[in-house]
Amino acid sequence: MIWLVMVLTGLINFIFRISMFSEFRNIHVPPSFHRYVSYVPISVLSAIIASSLFTHNGHEISYDVEKLIAALAAVACAYLTKSVSATLIVGLVTVWLI
Amino acid sequence: MSRKEFFLGVTAMLPLLLGVVPFGLVFGVLGISSGLTETETILMSSIVFAGASQVVFAQLWAAGSAYFVIASSVALINLRHVLYSASVAEYLKKLSFKWRIVLGYLLTDESFAVSIKRLSTHGERRPVHFFMLGSGLTLWIAWQLSTIVGVIAGSTIPENWELAFAIPLTFIAIVVPLLKNTPTIICALTTCLIAIFGQSLPWNTWIIVAALGGILIGASIEKWKPSK
Repeated sequence: MIWLVMVLTGLINFIFRISMFSEFRNIHVPPSFHRYVSYVPISVLSAIIASSLFTHNGHEISYDVEKLIAALAAVACAYLTKSVSATLIVGLVTVWLI
Repeated sequence: MSRKEFFLGVTAMLPLLLGVVPFGLVFGVLGISSGLTETETILMSSIVFAGASQVVFAQLWAAGSAYFVIASSVALINLRHVLYSASVAEYLKKLSFKWRIVLGYLLTDESFAVSIKRLSTHGERRPVHFFMLGSGLTLWIAWQLSTIVGVIAGSTIPENWELAFAIPLTFIAIVVPLLKNTPTIICALTTCLIAIFGQSLPWNTWIIVAALGGILIGASIEKWKPSK
């Protein structure tokens, strides 16, 4: 089953990537599409970040203090350095040390 | 001349690999810890070939999410490729079908970022499709190799190293530099809140609900209160 889902998602990706090539040129992209799409990475990735730091069981929120502190350190590092490697190292080292 | 363009593309991509290789390693490790087999993890890097969406795929798969949630989350994440496709299409229209299939497959954030400059400044005079091929192929090879190394490491690294935590960390590294103004910050905060409180929604639909909520809020604020 995983192969089917994987091939399907791969195919969707591929269709997006070639969607505007000449054979398909008559697909019309409204200008507002650009605006919406520009928020996609922020929102999807933030959703993953939040859900890996906090779990909610319907009544209460639980979280891991060490990971929260490490995540904050990573946010500071990402803000200052904009580097994936540096952020990874700062976050992981913080969670190991605490 | 084609050869020169190809290697210019390769060289332009090299500095970006600093961000790509750790991400590939993390994906390899995560694939194994999500319960995917080594073959599934390695082949996903060439079948899906899109960093963040592979990670989301593996996480949602491990959480036992509905297939439509996995497919639509991945589709949402990759919607931006339509814009890239629209931007490069103009420069590729004279190429053969085979060329466009290959360059389309290799189109990613990184290859788009390095190629679009070259296409728009040299597109008329030089075989810039070789530049795209060089940059795209370099990224592709780096992504496959780093996935394989991650998979090998993933089966040997002890649990208490907390490597799964590398995922939110990698995403923090991508998101934080994008938070430049009020709409982007509000988009991120709204998404986080929905993602946290929506976790009990069936089939893991929280990811779609949270993402759409954030996108709508961000785009609406931008529209009504344009920021500089």
